[in-house]
Amino acid sequence: MGGPATLVIAPPEGRGTTAASLVGAVESRLATLERRYSRYLADSLVSTINRAAGGGDFTRLDPESEALLEIADQLWQSSGGLFDITSGVLRKAWRFDAAKAPVDLSQLETLQKKVGWDKVERTSEGVYLPIKGMEIDLGGLVKEYAADCAVRLLRDQGVTSGLIELAGDVATIGCQPSGVPWQVAIRAPQGGEPLGGIALSNAAAATSGNYARTLRFAGRTYGHLLNPHTGWPVEGPTSVTVIGENCLSAGAVSTIACLQSPEAAMVWLSEAGLPWLMIDRNAGYSGPLASELDLSAL
Amino acid sequence: MNPLRSNSAFLRSLTRTLATLPAYQAAATLADAPPAFTEVGVRYSHYSEDDIDASSVIFGATSRYDIDITQLWIEAPVGASWSVALDVQNDYQTGASPWFVGTDQNGEPGVIMSGASIQDNRVEVGVATRYFWADGNAGLNVSRSDEDDYEALSMAFDASWNTAGNTRTWTTSVSNSRDKVNPTQGVIPVFVSDEALDTQSGYFGVSQILSRTAIVRVGLNYTYSDGYLSDPYKLNDQRPQSHERIALSTGYRHFLIDANASIQFDYRYYADSWGVDSHTVELGWAQHFERTTLTPYFRYYSQREADFFEVVADLTEPHFADDYRLSSYGAMTLGARWAINLGDWTFELEGERYWSDANWGLYDGDSAPALVDFWRGTMAIIWRFD
Repeated sequence: MGGPATLVIAPPEGRGTTAASLVGAVESRLATLERRYSRYLADSLVSTINRAAGGGDFTRLDPESEALLEIADQLWQSSGGLFDITSGVLRKAWRFDAAKAPVDLSQLETLQKKVGWDKVERTSEGVYLPIKGMEIDLGGLVKEYAADCAVRLLRDQGVTSGLIELAGDVATIGCQPSGVPWQVAIRAPQGGEPLGGIALSNAAAATSGNYARTLRFAGRTYGHLLNPHTGWPVEGPTSVTVIGENCLSAGAVSTIACLQSPEAAMVWLSEAGLPWLMIDRNAGYSGPLASELDLSAL
Repeated sequence: MNPLRSNSAFLRSLTRTLATLPAYQAAATLADAPPAFTEVGVRYSHYSEDDIDASSVIFGATSRYDIDITQLWIEAPVGASWSVALDVQNDYQTGASPWFVGTDQNGEPGVIMSGASIQDNRVEVGVATRYFWADGNAGLNVSRSDEDDYEALSMAFDASWNTAGNTRTWTTSVSNSRDKVNPTQGVIPVFVSDEALDTQSGYFGVSQILSRTAIVRVGLNYTYSDGYLSDPYKLNDQRPQSHERIALSTGYRHFLIDANASIQFDYRYYADSWGVDSHTVELGWAQHFERTTLTPYFRYYSQREADFFEVVADLTEPHFADDYRLSSYGAMTLGARWAINLGDWTFELEGERYWSDANWGLYDGDSAPALVDFWRGTMAIIWRFD
């Protein structure tokens, strides 16, 4: 999945499992998910679906993939179409990793025709992208899902104290072996000292941000999250952290928040009812976690 | 209240979809953990048979049985791996039942009823303990049942364990019961005393999660009884001294995400050493709402008569019976269950109507005149606390 991972576990006593065997089991579970859902691997399910776009053939789905697409559908519906796993093709117009000429607006209109979750056909036969060049990207879901899968695997192995972090998303099992909740630091978008630590026990924290990958265009800085309706980068919050029972729910709430204007994001976050922290473009803090961390709003 | 359990419509619907993925289903270590709470429950059922059709009766009352069943239970965790439970049930039955089937002056079969004054009270007390480990649990249950004319002492052991990444659950149980029959002399003469009955039973079954929305189960039960198996309150009833029974049961549940409902299908095949075999098919629809689940269901039953059943018992045979429960017939049940969950409290209501008819069955056989129709209603209140 291309990001760093951290795993902290206390192996359960009397079950014949060692930390090394547990780490191995988690690695193998994560590798399986990557082989299936990475858009960078040619033989992944996602690549297979994308290759079949416009060709007329449905790609069969296993129950897990079917459920993940169902979740993608719910997020699309709940976000008014802002969370759209087909919007990745827009990155061909907004090249956040290109050193030169990162923006090619001439392509935008053509690319936008290939975007739209509502165009995707899902039946008992499987899934089909009806336009050649259309693509899906489950990157916005799978990392969080992977963290939850790791938690489940470790719990099934009897682990009662553990923490997994996948590129900024954290899921925890129980407390630290000392009985104190896990302390998770929240990174400051502008770098430097972390903003503070939040206590987690049997909970997950997911952060969505629009600051890590940016580009300059026509005198403005744009973040990498793209609005599928306009084809342009969203001008939303810089970063949103949400705490939830599991990583996927927390990630869904924070990702959809980042796709909206800061004002709309606040309404969305309040309605979701989970603890949250939002950092806006002027480095102002808001949300229940801001007061918990004693961060004053600017 | 758990601050991470949000009531937002978005998260509620997301949680429902997540529940179809194994990663978000209750972990085995939690599923096979002792209850975290003490549970106290009370359940009351009323069973009421319709009057028998007057044209089927040669002599006696036309009213039939009414039964009131009251059950109280408590289950509590003990330490990290055990639970204990106490269960007390009282059945009070009153009314009349068919004594025997004779023929009227035209040679037509008709029922001679027992008279309307039978009253009987049965009390059953059971204690159970259960041990939980990471992948399963096992329980031992001892119960004693007492009524004027019948005593039973039974013991049962059961175990279930999960395999295949917790997608498969195996279940087995064995039980033994020793009964003493000592019928009371009442409004009808009784000709037996101090009889005994021993019963052994075993079950083995498996349930398998097929997909994120489907689960199937299959199980086989074998029961062997040896001793007094006749009905002492029926005049013409002489059944074999042993009874072997086998039953194959299957069930399928399919969860429909969009409808937030599940389809329930169950089938049971039963056969015994007396020549009876039967099919039971049940279809249900469990509709989930925010705090309640409403499950209407329909059940069809068809039975083949016992080898020794006759509408009017043939007393020249070594075994004979005119009990309508051993005849060929079909039956239909229409019912609904409603479960309401309000935090620590759960309320359950259930009502069903049962009709039986000799012509509804799949098997041939003469029509027993005493086939029964009945109503049954149940309500329960369950309270869970720390």
